[in-house]
Amino acid sequence: MSGWHPTAALGRALVLGSFGLALALVAGEPGLVVLVAPFVVLGAVALVHRPRTTPAVAAALDHRTLPEGAGTTSRLTLTGAEEVEYVARAAARPPYLALRPSHGRVGRLLGPAGPPVVEVGAQRWGTRMAGEEKVALYAPWAGFRFGPVHLTADPLRVLPTTAAYDSRAEAPQPLGLVGANRSQRAGGGTELAGIRPFQAGDRLRRINWRVSLRTGDLHVVSTRAEEDTGVLLVVDALADQGVSGGVEGAASSMDLTVRAASAIAEHHVRRGDRVALRVIGRGAEQVGYGAGARHLRRIQDRLATVRVGDVPDADSITLGVTGGAVVVVLSPMLAPSVGTATATLVRRGLSVLVVDTLPPGATPPVAAGADPEVAALAWRMRLLERSVVLDRLGRLGCPVVPWRGPGTLDDVLRRLARRARQPRVVAR
Amino acid sequence: MTPDTTPRSQLALRALVLLGPLVALLATGPAGHGPPWWLVVVVAALAGASAVAPDSPVGVAAGLVVLAWWAVSLQDDLPVSVAVAAVALTVGHVAALLASYGPRAMPLDRPTLLLWARRGALVLLTVPGAWLLARTVRGEPEQPGLWVVALATACVAIVGASVAIDLPDREESR
Repeated sequence: MSGWHPTAALGRALVLGSFGLALALVAGEPGLVVLVAPFVVLGAVALVHRPRTTPAVAAALDHRTLPEGAGTTSRLTLTGAEEVEYVARAAARPPYLALRPSHGRVGRLLGPAGPPVVEVGAQRWGTRMAGEEKVALYAPWAGFRFGPVHLTADPLRVLPTTAAYDSRAEAPQPLGLVGANRSQRAGGGTELAGIRPFQAGDRLRRINWRVSLRTGDLHVVSTRAEEDTGVLLVVDALADQGVSGGVEGAASSMDLTVRAASAIAEHHVRRGDRVALRVIGRGAEQVGYGAGARHLRRIQDRLATVRVGDVPDADSITLGVTGGAVVVVLSPMLAPSVGTATATLVRRGLSVLVVDTLPPGATPPVAAGADPEVAALAWRMRLLERSVVLDRLGRLGCPVVPWRGPGTLDDVLRRLARRARQPRVVAR
Repeated sequence: MTPDTTPRSQLALRALVLLGPLVALLATGPAGHGPPWWLVVVVAALAGASAVAPDSPVGVAAGLVVLAWWAVSLQDDLPVSVAVAAVALTVGHVAALLASYGPRAMPLDRPTLLLWARRGALVLLTVPGAWLLARTVRGEPEQPGLWVVALATACVAIVGASVAIDLPDREESR
């Protein structure tokens, strides 16, 4: 509804005022005029302030991209609003967006401070539709109302928050050019590999004079090369288990998965490693290997647009993993296809580890009409199958760790690094 | 505060919307024409509906019933309680106007309430003037239309004064 319309208050004032005057005239009773005199005044003043211009209403968010837990402001722009006295806003309440003040219902007199603003807080990663609202403008004395004007929502991209995560473990198979991971080969790094006799080409500053004097021959300090590594993050987005309470509430499996993926990506990008992303889900989002802050932003953008849902060919998932990469599978491991794909990578000799992102106590939603007892039984059976899959992966040499923030991957990465230095038979 | 909680300002305004017509109706009691209980129930129901939905036309019905009862009651005298009834009706009307500015969960800010308190007080200045004038012209049978014209003239004058007073306020708020 747009354009100026009389309000119910104006109609009430005019009806009561005219009815009271008519009744007074017919009944010859002046006392009735005392009752309706204020209504006559209110109606007349409101009519005098009938607006002549047509305002235009628009709203915009200050930011289109936010990290989880951060907020932005929705501002109203009014043009041609010289005859507007009061502005009321009623914003829609999309899931996982917090609105202030008064949950998006706000109104005030239009003064020098301008129209009222609504603060929008992002409580969960993903693409949120923010800014859908209805705006009503009132003329002086509330005789006429413009609207309510329906304003459509704008997409707000909410990046997953970087969960607290750090790791001091070295990468199992560094296979790059430069980086922070200790390589298996000697090179110009800082990690001591040993002391050996001087060879032609060695740098003079690497001569260890103490050993050279003791042995009578020149000896040099040899170091391990430092290389970057490729880290492939595999995100299982086939289903979201558990209930998400936003950034400060309970976490669903997708919350844990996406936030952990973001944290691991940031950690490795900060160390100079190359990070890639593959999403097993409806959107099949993927980001190739890369490094640097812009690449991290691309990964976080992709994580924010992950679409949860099954894929038609889930039984034959191909991840396109190259040799030398560390594969981190973030999954609740409830889909057999993900377990199969993980086992295949392990058999190929890749360094694979699984981060279990099934929240403790998670239960699936029960469809309407389904027997809750049957659903609970089915869920228990599914959890039993899941434990079998995890046991089999463990027996194959694939560590499975639940996500617990800092240090989650330290132990398993160290074990993988030790194992990577040992000879082994690999299935081709 | 949960999203569907009604703020205190809205609760207070809706209470006034409910009480305004009721007080105006019951004000006929001191004049010796107390309303029957069923009429009180009817007005209470209409005023209650208006308090729930202040933007609906049901509030008009409550006011009309009150006016009709006062037309029946004002036969012998012009009691002071008619001024009380006028104030109650006006307060209920302004409260409904404020409550209908937005949805039920929208609180009203202090400057808006103060502005309308000033406006309400200004408008209520018509009540004592109209009461005195009505009392003066009451009992003038030979010129039955004179008092109506006089009161209408007074109302027009007050409208003009209200507009004149209100214009500087609007200029300042820009």
